[in-house]
Amino acid sequence: MRVAIVAGSITAGIRIAKEIERLPTVDASIVVCNPGMKAPFRRWTREFLLALKSLEWWALTANVGGYARAGKLLILRRPLDDPTSIERLKSLQCDVGLHAANVIYREATISAFRLGILNAHIGILPKYRGRCVAEWSILQGDPIGVTVFFIDSGIDTGERIVLRKFISSNGKNSVAKLKKMLFGCDARLYRQALEALMRSEIRFEGNDILEGKRYYVMSGVFTKVVNEILRDSDNLG
Amino acid sequence: MDLETALSAPVQLDRRQEVLHGALLRRRTELRKSWRHLLSPECLESLGSLAKDIESFLSWRDSIRDWRVAATFTWMNCDATFLDSLRVIALGGRVEYRPSDTTPGALSPVDLNRLSSNDRLNALYARYRCPLNIGTASEFDVAEELLRQLMVPDRAKLEAGAEFDVDLVLLKLNLVGIRAMIARDLRSLDALNYFYELPRRSLTRLRANPRFLAFWLCIYAQLLNAPDW
Repeated sequence: MRVAIVAGSITAGIRIAKEIERLPTVDASIVVCNPGMKAPFRRWTREFLLALKSLEWWALTANVGGYARAGKLLILRRPLDDPTSIERLKSLQCDVGLHAANVIYREATISAFRLGILNAHIGILPKYRGRCVAEWSILQGDPIGVTVFFIDSGIDTGERIVLRKFISSNGKNSVAKLKKMLFGCDARLYRQALEALMRSEIRFEGNDILEGKRYYVMSGVFTKVVNEILRDSDNLG
Repeated sequence: MDLETALSAPVQLDRRQEVLHGALLRRRTELRKSWRHLLSPECLESLGSLAKDIESFLSWRDSIRDWRVAATFTWMNCDATFLDSLRVIALGGRVEYRPSDTTPGALSPVDLNRLSSNDRLNALYARYRCPLNIGTASEFDVAEELLRQLMVPDRAKLEAGAEFDVDLVLLKLNLVGIRAMIARDLRSLDALNYFYELPRRSLTRLRANPRFLAFWLCIYAQLLNAPDW
Protein backbone atom coordinates (compact mmCIF):
# COMPACT_ATOMS: atom_id res chain seq x y z
CA MET A 1 0.00 0.00 0.00
CA ARG A 2 1.35 3.42 -0.96
CA VAL A 3 0.79 6.03 1.72
CA ALA A 4 1.63 9.75 1.86
CA ILE A 5 1.74 11.67 5.10
CA VAL A 6 0.49 15.20 4.49
CA ALA A 7 2.45 16.96 7.21
CA GLY A 8 2.83 20.53 8.43
CA SER A 9 6.51 19.94 9.20
CA ILE A 10 9.25 17.46 8.31
CA THR A 11 9.51 16.40 11.96
CA ALA A 12 5.79 15.52 12.13
CA GLY A 13 6.00 13.63 8.85
CA ILE A 14 9.04 11.57 9.92
CA ARG A 15 7.43 10.71 13.27
CA ILE A 16 4.38 9.17 11.59
CA ALA A 17 6.37 7.61 8.74
CA LYS A 18 8.59 5.73 11.21
CA GLU A 19 5.53 4.22 12.88
CA ILE A 20 3.65 3.16 9.75
CA GLU A 21 6.75 1.71 8.12
CA ARG A 22 6.61 -0.97 10.78
CA LEU A 23 3.99 -2.46 8.44
CA PRO A 24 6.03 -4.43 5.88
CA THR A 25 3.70 -3.76 2.96
CA VAL A 26 3.50 0.00 3.42
CA ASP A 27 5.52 2.31 1.21
CA ALA A 28 5.48 5.77 2.84
CA SER A 29 6.18 9.20 1.38
CA ILE A 30 6.12 12.54 3.17
CA VAL A 31 4.46 15.59 1.69
CA VAL A 32 5.38 18.73 3.63
CA CYS A 33 2.99 21.59 3.06
CA ASN A 34 3.21 25.14 4.30
CA PRO A 35 0.15 25.93 6.46
CA GLY A 36 -0.47 29.64 6.56
CA MET A 37 1.95 30.08 3.63
CA LYS A 38 4.80 31.32 5.81
CA ALA A 39 7.69 33.18 4.20
CA PRO A 40 10.72 30.90 3.53
CA PHE A 41 12.79 32.26 6.44
CA ARG A 42 9.96 31.75 8.96
CA ARG A 43 9.11 28.37 7.50
CA TRP A 44 12.62 26.96 7.75
CA THR A 45 13.32 28.54 11.14
CA ARG A 46 10.22 26.76 12.41
CA GLU A 47 11.36 23.48 10.86
CA PHE A 48 14.75 23.89 12.49
CA LEU A 49 13.26 24.64 15.92
CA LEU A 50 10.86 21.67 15.68
CA ALA A 51 13.76 19.41 14.78
CA LEU A 52 15.78 20.68 17.75
CA LYS A 53 12.79 20.16 20.05
CA SER A 54 12.43 16.56 18.91
CA LEU A 55 15.76 15.81 20.66
CA GLU A 56 16.58 13.26 17.96
CA TRP A 57 18.48 15.63 15.75
CA TRP A 58 20.92 13.12 14.22
CA ALA A 59 18.35 10.38 13.65
CA LEU A 60 16.03 12.93 12.11
CA THR A 61 18.70 14.24 9.75
CA ALA A 62 19.53 10.68 8.64
CA ASN A 63 15.83 9.94 8.04
CA VAL A 64 15.31 13.14 6.05
CA GLY A 65 18.32 12.28 3.90
CA GLY A 66 16.98 8.77 3.31
CA TYR A 67 13.51 9.93 2.25
CA ALA A 68 14.94 12.72 0.08
CA ARG A 69 17.33 10.35 -1.73
CA ALA A 70 14.49 7.89 -2.37
CA GLY A 71 12.35 10.69 -3.82
CA LYS A 72 9.84 10.23 -1.02
CA LEU A 73 10.06 13.70 0.48
CA LEU A 74 7.99 16.30 -1.29
CA ILE A 75 8.25 19.90 -0.13
CA LEU A 76 5.35 21.98 -1.40
CA ARG A 77 5.89 25.69 -1.92
CA ARG A 78 2.39 26.44 -3.18
CA PRO A 79 -0.88 25.85 -1.28
CA LEU A 80 -2.03 22.24 -1.04
CA ASP A 81 -5.06 22.83 -3.29
CA ASP A 82 -3.04 24.62 -5.98
CA PRO A 83 -3.23 22.68 -9.30
CA THR A 84 0.58 22.20 -9.37
CA SER A 85 0.55 20.76 -5.83
CA ILE A 86 -2.31 18.43 -6.76
CA GLU A 87 -0.40 17.24 -9.82
CA ARG A 88 2.62 16.48 -7.62
CA LEU A 89 0.39 14.57 -5.19
CA LYS A 90 -1.13 12.57 -8.04
CA SER A 91 2.33 11.69 -9.33
CA LEU A 92 2.96 9.79 -6.07
CA GLN A 93 0.10 7.40 -7.01
CA CYS A 94 -0.83 6.89 -3.37
CA ASP A 95 -3.66 4.78 -2.04
CA VAL A 96 -4.09 6.69 1.18
CA GLY A 97 -3.12 10.11 2.58
CA LEU A 98 -2.63 10.68 6.31
CA HIS A 99 -3.60 14.09 7.65
CA ALA A 100 -0.90 15.66 9.83
CA ALA A 101 -1.07 19.35 8.91
CA ASN A 102 -3.27 22.23 9.93
CA VAL A 103 -4.87 22.60 6.51
CA ILE A 104 -8.33 22.31 4.98
CA TYR A 105 -8.70 19.83 2.14
CA ARG A 106 -10.68 20.56 -1.00
CA GLU A 107 -12.27 17.80 -3.04
CA ALA A 108 -9.50 17.88 -5.68
CA THR A 109 -6.81 17.24 -3.04
CA ILE A 110 -8.77 14.40 -1.45
CA SER A 111 -9.32 12.69 -4.78
CA ALA A 112 -5.59 12.73 -5.54
CA PHE A 113 -5.48 9.63 -3.28
CA ARG A 114 -7.13 6.41 -4.46
CA LEU A 115 -8.98 5.70 -1.21
CA GLY A 116 -8.89 9.18 0.30
CA ILE A 117 -7.24 10.94 3.25
CA LEU A 118 -7.44 9.59 6.80
CA ASN A 119 -7.81 11.91 9.79
CA ALA A 120 -7.15 10.96 13.42
CA HIS A 121 -9.87 13.12 15.03
CA ILE A 122 -9.47 13.53 18.80
CA GLY A 123 -13.14 12.91 19.52
CA ILE A 124 -15.68 10.15 19.20
CA LEU A 125 -17.62 10.35 15.94
CA PRO A 126 -20.39 10.73 15.00
CA LYS A 127 -21.30 12.44 18.28
CA TYR A 128 -18.47 14.98 18.49
CA ARG A 129 -17.57 16.90 15.34
CA GLY A 130 -15.55 20.11 15.11
CA ARG A 131 -13.21 21.79 17.57
CA CYS A 132 -12.30 21.22 21.23
CA VAL A 133 -14.18 17.93 21.13
CA ALA A 134 -12.06 16.32 23.86
CA GLU A 135 -12.97 19.16 26.23
CA TRP A 136 -16.64 19.04 25.22
CA SER A 137 -16.74 15.28 25.82
CA ILE A 138 -15.35 15.72 29.35
CA LEU A 139 -17.74 18.60 30.06
CA GLN A 140 -20.73 16.51 29.02
CA GLY A 141 -19.58 13.40 30.89
CA ASP A 142 -18.95 11.38 27.73
CA PRO A 143 -16.05 9.04 26.89
CA ILE A 144 -13.04 10.51 25.15
CA GLY A 145 -11.01 8.97 22.37
CA VAL A 146 -9.84 9.15 18.78
CA THR A 147 -11.72 8.30 15.59
CA VAL A 148 -9.80 7.55 12.39
CA PHE A 149 -11.99 8.23 9.36
CA PHE A 150 -11.79 9.23 5.71
CA ILE A 151 -12.38 12.95 5.44
CA ASP A 152 -14.56 14.78 2.96
CA SER A 153 -14.66 18.52 2.37
CA GLY A 154 -17.01 19.09 5.37
CA ILE A 155 -16.10 19.44 9.04
CA ASP A 156 -15.66 15.85 10.28
CA THR A 157 -18.51 14.65 8.08
CA GLY A 158 -16.64 11.98 6.08
CA GLU A 159 -18.86 8.91 5.94
CA ARG A 160 -16.31 6.09 6.37
CA ILE A 161 -15.01 5.42 9.89
CA VAL A 162 -12.08 2.98 9.94
CA LEU A 163 -11.58 2.73 13.69
CA ARG A 164 -12.57 4.32 16.95
CA LYS A 165 -10.61 4.02 20.19
CA PHE A 166 -11.83 5.03 23.61
CA ILE A 167 -8.90 6.32 25.63
CA SER A 168 -8.72 6.90 29.36
CA SER A 169 -7.83 10.38 30.62
CA ASN A 170 -6.04 8.82 33.59
CA GLY A 171 -3.11 10.90 34.78
CA LYS A 172 -3.91 13.83 32.50
CA ASN A 173 -5.01 16.55 34.89
CA SER A 174 -5.32 19.43 32.43
CA VAL A 175 -6.80 20.08 29.01
CA ALA A 176 -3.34 20.79 27.58
CA LYS A 177 -1.92 17.46 28.79
CA LEU A 178 -5.01 15.56 27.68
CA LYS A 179 -4.90 17.00 24.16
CA LYS A 180 -1.17 16.42 23.85
CA MET A 181 -1.72 12.77 24.78
CA LEU A 182 -4.63 12.36 22.32
CA PHE A 183 -2.81 14.09 19.45
CA GLY A 184 0.22 11.92 20.21
CA CYS A 185 -1.83 8.78 19.49
CA ASP A 186 -2.10 9.63 15.79
CA ALA A 187 0.88 7.61 14.47
CA ARG A 188 -0.10 4.43 16.32
CA LEU A 189 -3.75 4.73 15.32
CA TYR A 190 -2.88 5.47 11.69
CA ARG A 191 -0.82 2.27 11.68
CA GLN A 192 -3.77 0.33 13.10
CA ALA A 193 -6.13 1.93 10.58
CA LEU A 194 -3.82 0.97 7.69
CA GLU A 195 -3.65 -2.58 9.04
CA ALA A 196 -7.45 -2.66 9.06
CA LEU A 197 -7.61 -1.30 5.51
CA MET A 198 -5.25 -3.99 4.27
CA ARG A 199 -7.52 -6.73 5.57
CA SER A 200 -9.78 -7.96 2.82
CA GLU A 201 -12.91 -8.01 5.01
CA ILE A 202 -12.76 -4.31 6.06
CA ARG A 203 -16.22 -2.89 6.74
CA PHE A 204 -16.48 0.83 7.41
CA GLU A 205 -18.67 2.14 10.16
CA GLY A 206 -20.98 4.97 9.09
CA ASN A 207 -20.63 8.53 10.36
CA ASP A 208 -24.25 9.65 10.57
CA ILE A 209 -24.11 13.41 11.21
CA LEU A 210 -27.68 13.35 12.55
CA GLU A 211 -26.35 11.39 15.54
CA GLY A 212 -24.03 14.19 16.59
CA LYS A 213 -23.41 17.89 16.74
CA ARG A 214 -20.71 20.28 15.63
CA TYR A 215 -18.73 21.82 18.46
CA TYR A 216 -16.76 25.03 18.49
CA VAL A 217 -13.79 26.54 20.26
CA MET A 218 -14.47 26.51 24.00
CA SER A 219 -14.66 29.61 26.20
CA GLY A 220 -12.24 30.28 29.04
CA VAL A 221 -14.85 29.66 31.72
CA PHE A 222 -15.78 26.21 30.36
CA THR A 223 -12.12 25.28 29.81
CA LYS A 224 -11.49 26.00 33.50
CA VAL A 225 -14.43 23.76 34.38
CA VAL A 226 -12.94 20.94 32.29
CA ASN A 227 -9.55 21.44 33.95
CA GLU A 228 -11.21 21.16 37.35
CA ILE A 229 -13.07 17.99 36.35
CA LEU A 230 -9.82 16.47 35.09
CA ARG A 231 -7.99 17.39 38.31
CA ASP A 232 -10.80 15.83 40.38
CA SER A 233 -10.79 12.76 38.23
CA ASP A 234 -7.01 12.46 38.60
CA ASN A 235 -7.24 12.85 42.40
CA LEU A 236 -9.91 10.15 42.58
CA GLY A 237 -7.48 7.90 40.73
CA MET B 1 -1.60 3.24 27.39
CA ASP B 2 -4.95 1.85 28.47
CA LEU B 3 -7.69 1.87 25.89
CA GLU B 4 -10.93 1.98 27.78
CA THR B 5 -14.08 3.94 28.35
CA ALA B 6 -13.43 6.83 30.68
CA LEU B 7 -15.36 9.24 32.85
CA SER B 8 -18.64 7.42 32.87
CA ALA B 9 -19.25 6.97 36.59
CA PRO B 10 -22.41 8.72 37.86
CA VAL B 11 -20.45 10.18 40.78
CA GLN B 12 -18.27 12.07 38.30
CA LEU B 13 -21.35 13.37 36.50
CA ASP B 14 -22.70 14.79 39.78
CA ARG B 15 -19.36 16.44 40.45
CA ARG B 16 -19.30 17.78 36.89
CA GLN B 17 -22.65 19.49 37.41
CA GLU B 18 -21.48 20.94 40.71
CA VAL B 19 -18.29 22.35 39.15
CA LEU B 20 -20.18 23.75 36.17
CA HIS B 21 -22.89 25.38 38.29
CA GLY B 22 -20.26 26.93 40.56
CA ALA B 23 -18.37 28.40 37.59
CA LEU B 24 -21.55 29.86 36.09
CA LEU B 25 -22.53 31.48 39.40
CA ARG B 26 -19.05 33.01 39.69
CA ARG B 27 -19.43 34.40 36.19
CA ARG B 28 -22.83 35.85 37.19
CA THR B 29 -21.20 37.60 40.15
CA GLU B 30 -18.55 38.99 37.82
CA LEU B 31 -21.18 40.15 35.32
CA ARG B 32 -23.03 41.96 38.12
CA LYS B 33 -19.93 44.12 38.57
CA SER B 34 -18.65 44.34 34.99
CA TRP B 35 -21.75 45.03 32.88
CA ARG B 36 -21.33 48.80 33.33
CA HIS B 37 -18.02 48.59 31.46
CA LEU B 38 -19.89 47.22 28.47
CA LEU B 39 -23.09 49.22 28.72
CA SER B 40 -21.75 52.74 29.24
CA PRO B 41 -23.76 55.51 30.97
CA GLU B 42 -24.44 57.00 27.52
CA CYS B 43 -25.83 53.66 26.30
CA LEU B 44 -27.97 53.34 29.38
CA GLU B 45 -29.28 56.87 28.97
CA SER B 46 -30.21 56.16 25.35
CA LEU B 47 -32.50 53.36 26.56
CA GLY B 48 -34.86 55.89 28.20
CA SER B 49 -37.38 54.36 30.56
CA LEU B 50 -35.95 50.89 29.93
CA ALA B 51 -32.65 51.85 31.58
CA LYS B 52 -33.94 51.42 35.13
CA ASP B 53 -35.23 47.90 34.44
CA ILE B 54 -31.97 46.87 32.75
CA GLU B 55 -29.87 48.29 35.58
CA SER B 56 -31.92 46.57 38.22
CA PHE B 57 -31.96 43.27 36.32
CA LEU B 58 -28.22 43.14 35.73
CA SER B 59 -27.18 44.45 39.15
CA TRP B 60 -29.52 42.77 41.56
CA ARG B 61 -31.99 40.28 40.18
CA ASP B 62 -31.17 36.59 40.00
CA SER B 63 -34.29 35.43 38.23
CA ILE B 64 -34.67 33.10 35.29
CA ARG B 65 -37.85 32.21 33.50
CA ASP B 66 -37.93 28.58 32.47
CA TRP B 67 -38.81 28.53 28.77
CA ARG B 68 -38.10 24.84 28.18
CA VAL B 69 -41.81 24.26 27.55
CA ALA B 70 -41.42 26.18 24.27
CA ALA B 71 -39.52 23.22 22.83
CA THR B 72 -42.71 21.12 23.00
CA PHE B 73 -44.64 23.35 20.59
CA THR B 74 -44.62 23.16 16.80
CA TRP B 75 -44.82 26.94 16.48
CA MET B 76 -45.95 29.94 18.55
CA ASN B 77 -47.62 33.17 17.49
CA CYS B 78 -47.25 36.47 19.34
CA ASP B 79 -49.22 39.69 18.89
CA ALA B 80 -46.36 41.83 20.19
CA THR B 81 -43.53 42.98 17.92
CA PHE B 82 -40.17 41.22 17.87
CA LEU B 83 -38.54 43.97 19.94
CA ASP B 84 -41.31 43.98 22.57
CA SER B 85 -41.19 40.20 22.90
CA LEU B 86 -37.39 40.24 23.13
CA ARG B 87 -37.54 42.88 25.87
CA VAL B 88 -40.01 40.80 27.91
CA ILE B 89 -37.90 37.62 27.53
CA ALA B 90 -34.66 39.44 28.38
CA LEU B 91 -36.14 40.88 31.56
CA GLY B 92 -37.51 37.52 32.68
CA GLY B 93 -41.13 38.42 31.95
CA ARG B 94 -43.91 36.36 30.47
CA VAL B 95 -44.42 36.54 26.71
CA GLU B 96 -48.00 36.09 25.58
CA TYR B 97 -48.05 33.46 22.84
CA ARG B 98 -50.53 31.15 21.18
CA PRO B 99 -49.32 27.67 20.23
CA SER B 100 -49.98 26.77 16.61
CA ASP B 101 -49.95 23.43 14.83
CA THR B 102 -48.64 24.87 11.61
CA THR B 103 -45.20 26.26 10.89
CA PRO B 104 -44.33 28.84 8.25
CA GLY B 105 -42.44 27.49 5.23
CA ALA B 106 -38.98 26.22 6.09
CA LEU B 107 -36.12 28.73 6.01
CA SER B 108 -32.97 27.09 4.77
CA PRO B 109 -29.59 28.36 6.00
CA VAL B 110 -28.47 28.52 2.37
CA ASP B 111 -31.34 30.86 1.46
CA LEU B 112 -30.71 32.94 4.58
CA ASN B 113 -27.05 33.40 3.67
CA ARG B 114 -27.94 34.52 0.15
CA LEU B 115 -29.69 37.60 1.56
CA SER B 116 -27.93 40.92 2.08
CA SER B 117 -27.11 41.85 5.66
CA ASN B 118 -30.13 44.12 5.91
CA ASP B 119 -32.53 41.61 4.34
CA ARG B 120 -31.18 38.89 6.62
CA LEU B 121 -31.88 41.07 9.64
CA ASN B 122 -35.44 41.72 8.45
CA ALA B 123 -36.02 38.06 7.61
CA LEU B 124 -34.97 37.04 11.14
CA TYR B 125 -37.13 39.76 12.76
CA ALA B 126 -40.14 38.63 10.76
CA ARG B 127 -39.64 34.89 11.29
CA TYR B 128 -38.91 35.20 14.99
CA ARG B 129 -41.53 37.80 15.82
CA CYS B 130 -42.15 35.34 18.63
CA PRO B 131 -38.46 34.80 19.49
CA LEU B 132 -39.22 31.56 21.35
CA ASN B 133 -39.66 29.84 17.98
CA ILE B 134 -35.85 29.70 17.60
CA GLY B 135 -35.97 26.83 20.12
CA THR B 136 -38.54 24.72 18.28
CA ALA B 137 -37.53 21.52 16.49
CA SER B 138 -38.33 22.91 13.04
CA GLU B 139 -35.76 25.69 13.49
CA PHE B 140 -32.86 23.40 14.34
CA ASP B 141 -31.00 24.05 11.09
CA VAL B 142 -31.35 27.83 11.30
CA ALA B 143 -30.32 27.84 14.97
CA GLU B 144 -27.27 25.72 14.16
CA GLU B 145 -26.32 28.06 11.32
CA LEU B 146 -26.61 31.13 13.56
CA LEU B 147 -24.40 29.41 16.13
CA ARG B 148 -21.86 28.50 13.42
CA GLN B 149 -21.79 32.04 12.09
CA LEU B 150 -21.20 33.45 15.56
CA MET B 151 -18.46 30.98 16.45
CA VAL B 152 -16.62 30.95 13.13
CA PRO B 153 -16.76 34.08 10.92
CA ASP B 154 -18.16 36.60 13.44
CA ARG B 155 -15.78 35.53 16.19
CA ALA B 156 -12.84 35.74 13.81
CA LYS B 157 -13.83 39.24 12.71
CA LEU B 158 -14.22 40.51 16.27
CA GLU B 159 -10.94 38.94 17.36
CA ALA B 160 -9.09 40.46 14.42
CA GLY B 161 -10.67 43.87 14.97
CA ALA B 162 -12.22 43.70 11.48
CA GLU B 163 -15.50 45.30 10.42
CA PHE B 164 -18.68 43.44 11.35
CA ASP B 165 -22.42 44.06 11.35
CA VAL B 166 -23.18 45.00 14.97
CA ASP B 167 -26.98 44.64 14.65
CA LEU B 168 -26.73 41.21 13.07
CA VAL B 169 -24.16 39.88 15.54
CA LEU B 170 -26.20 41.08 18.50
CA LEU B 171 -29.42 39.69 17.01
CA LYS B 172 -27.70 36.31 16.65
CA LEU B 173 -26.38 36.47 20.21
CA ASN B 174 -29.91 37.15 21.50
CA LEU B 175 -31.49 34.36 19.44
CA VAL B 176 -28.77 31.86 20.31
CA GLY B 177 -29.17 32.84 23.98
CA ILE B 178 -32.92 32.21 23.80
CA ARG B 179 -32.26 28.86 22.18
CA ALA B 180 -29.92 28.02 25.09
CA MET B 181 -32.75 28.89 27.52
CA ILE B 182 -35.19 26.59 25.75
CA ALA B 183 -32.94 23.71 24.73
CA ARG B 184 -30.39 23.93 27.60
CA ASP B 185 -27.77 23.60 24.89
CA LEU B 186 -24.31 24.10 26.39
CA ARG B 187 -22.81 25.06 23.02
CA SER B 188 -25.26 27.93 22.68
CA LEU B 189 -24.52 29.09 26.23
CA ASP B 190 -20.81 28.87 25.50
CA ALA B 191 -21.15 31.13 22.46
CA LEU B 192 -22.36 33.80 24.91
CA ASN B 193 -19.49 32.95 27.28
CA TYR B 194 -17.02 33.28 24.44
CA PHE B 195 -18.29 36.66 23.24
CA TYR B 196 -18.40 37.98 26.80
CA GLU B 197 -14.72 37.00 27.14
CA LEU B 198 -13.62 38.82 23.99
CA PRO B 199 -11.30 41.77 24.58
CA ARG B 200 -13.17 44.84 25.83
CA ARG B 201 -12.05 46.88 22.81
CA SER B 202 -13.98 44.45 20.58
CA LEU B 203 -17.04 44.42 22.80
CA THR B 204 -17.29 48.19 23.11
CA ARG B 205 -18.05 48.27 19.38
CA LEU B 206 -21.33 46.53 20.25
CA ARG B 207 -22.46 49.76 21.95
CA ALA B 208 -23.68 50.90 18.54
CA ASN B 209 -26.93 49.05 19.37
CA PRO B 210 -27.45 49.63 23.11
CA ARG B 211 -30.88 47.99 23.19
CA PHE B 212 -29.73 44.67 21.72
CA LEU B 213 -26.57 44.81 23.81
CA ALA B 214 -28.58 45.26 27.00
CA PHE B 215 -31.00 42.44 26.08
CA TRP B 216 -28.07 40.11 25.31
CA LEU B 217 -26.50 40.78 28.72
CA CYS B 218 -29.85 40.20 30.50
CA ILE B 219 -30.39 36.89 28.67
CA TYR B 220 -26.81 35.89 29.50
CA ALA B 221 -27.41 36.74 33.17
CA GLN B 222 -30.48 34.48 33.21
CA LEU B 223 -28.58 31.60 31.61
CA LEU B 224 -25.83 31.87 34.23
CA ASN B 225 -28.47 31.49 36.95
CA ALA B 226 -30.03 28.39 35.43
CA PRO B 227 -29.34 25.48 37.78
CA ASP B 228 -29.87 22.56 35.48
CA TRP B 229 -27.34 22.34 32.65
